[in-house]
Amino acid sequence: MNNNYLIVAENIGYKINENKLFHNLSFDVAEGEALHICGDNGSGKSTLIRIILGITKQTKGNIKNNSSHGITYLGHKNAIKNYLTLEDNILLMELNDKEELNKYIEILNLRKYMDVIAANLSFGQQKKLALLRIFLNNSDLIILDEPFVGLDIETQDILSEFLNNQLKINKSIIYTSHISCQIESKILKIN
Amino acid sequence: MKIIRLEFLKLKKKTRTWLGPVLVFWLMMIAYPLTVEFLQEKLEVGFFSVLWIAILISMMLATEDIFLEDFNDGTLEQIMIKTSSFSTLVSVKILTYWIFVGIPISILSFIFSFGTTEDLALSLMIFPLSIISSYIFLNLFVMGNALSLNKGSVLGALVTMPLALPVLIVLGKSIIAIQLNINYLGFIFLLLGCLSIIIVTVPLVVSYIIKAHLE
Repeated sequence: MNNNYLIVAENIGYKINENKLFHNLSFDVAEGEALHICGDNGSGKSTLIRIILGITKQTKGNIKNNSSHGITYLGHKNAIKNYLTLEDNILLMELNDKEELNKYIEILNLRKYMDVIAANLSFGQQKKLALLRIFLNNSDLIILDEPFVGLDIETQDILSEFLNNQLKINKSIIYTSHISCQIESKILKIN
Repeated sequence: MKIIRLEFLKLKKKTRTWLGPVLVFWLMMIAYPLTVEFLQEKLEVGFFSVLWIAILISMMLATEDIFLEDFNDGTLEQIMIKTSSFSTLVSVKILTYWIFVGIPISILSFIFSFGTTEDLALSLMIFPLSIISSYIFLNLFVMGNALSLNKGSVLGALVTMPLALPVLIVLGKSIIAIQLNINYLGFIFLLLGCLSIIIVTVPLVVSYIIKAHLE
């Protein structure tokens, strides 16, 4: 097996109560490569993401994760604590000692909300907070489930640019998105 | 240590979660004397039964949303991806809840026991019993809550309640042992023995149950 491949999936299948969500999916993701998982609503994109993450077990096939520095993941749930301030949430995400934290707080325009309880922020602002986890990652594989939902155009562009830069430094990305974005990626279509 | 610090931060800000059960315990203990005559012997008769049941109920209330919030907001998914030892997180959560709820309740147990019996030696012996039993109850109800993570915590508490009954029996017998001055330490060691088993098995079982829920 080529060691440059972070994810290698062979004949992956998943069914719920005898209903096949998808079957015989084979794909791989090499270092510095992005994979865009496309499909209609309910086609199983999020389930496939959860299988790649190892949260959900596939009913058929094998999947190999060769990432040595772990996975950074942002899904539909932001893992934000509503009763904590932005500052406390950053502490909870263990990002408080990251070198570039201040840079991204400024870029995402979050500075003025640092003492605000997360419950008092809009969905988009909460999403920006969750994005810090992506921007300050140390892993070699980034997995995103609909990362552009709830973001304004400016932040979408910032995220796209960031992800393209991550590809240039040989990190790999797997993502689902209904919003067109400018990330050079392979496409995996599931029906 | 970092994980303990972060769990402390979360629970510290969720005042209602830890203060609620402590206040319920306090109210139950305050309410007890109002239901009987204010005579020393009358108060002492049912005091310890009420005390153990109050601890049991407070611990049940304390665990109400121990995993639910992390489950709903995606924190458990993040932890599962990052951490290999999920059971460590469960142990730390139980420990944190015990520090915030179990210890204050045990201190209150000592105070109420002294206030009712006016016997310092007896009340000092009640303190370790409360400390150990609150930790045992907490572990048992955590398991119940994990079982019914997305179906309401009362159901889970009902499932695990029978497991708490032997502990209540031991606690009742230990009071008799104290009053008759026989083998009090034996009961302490018996409870510690139970705790040592529970403290290892519950986090393992709970982590398995939560993983199944996430799947």
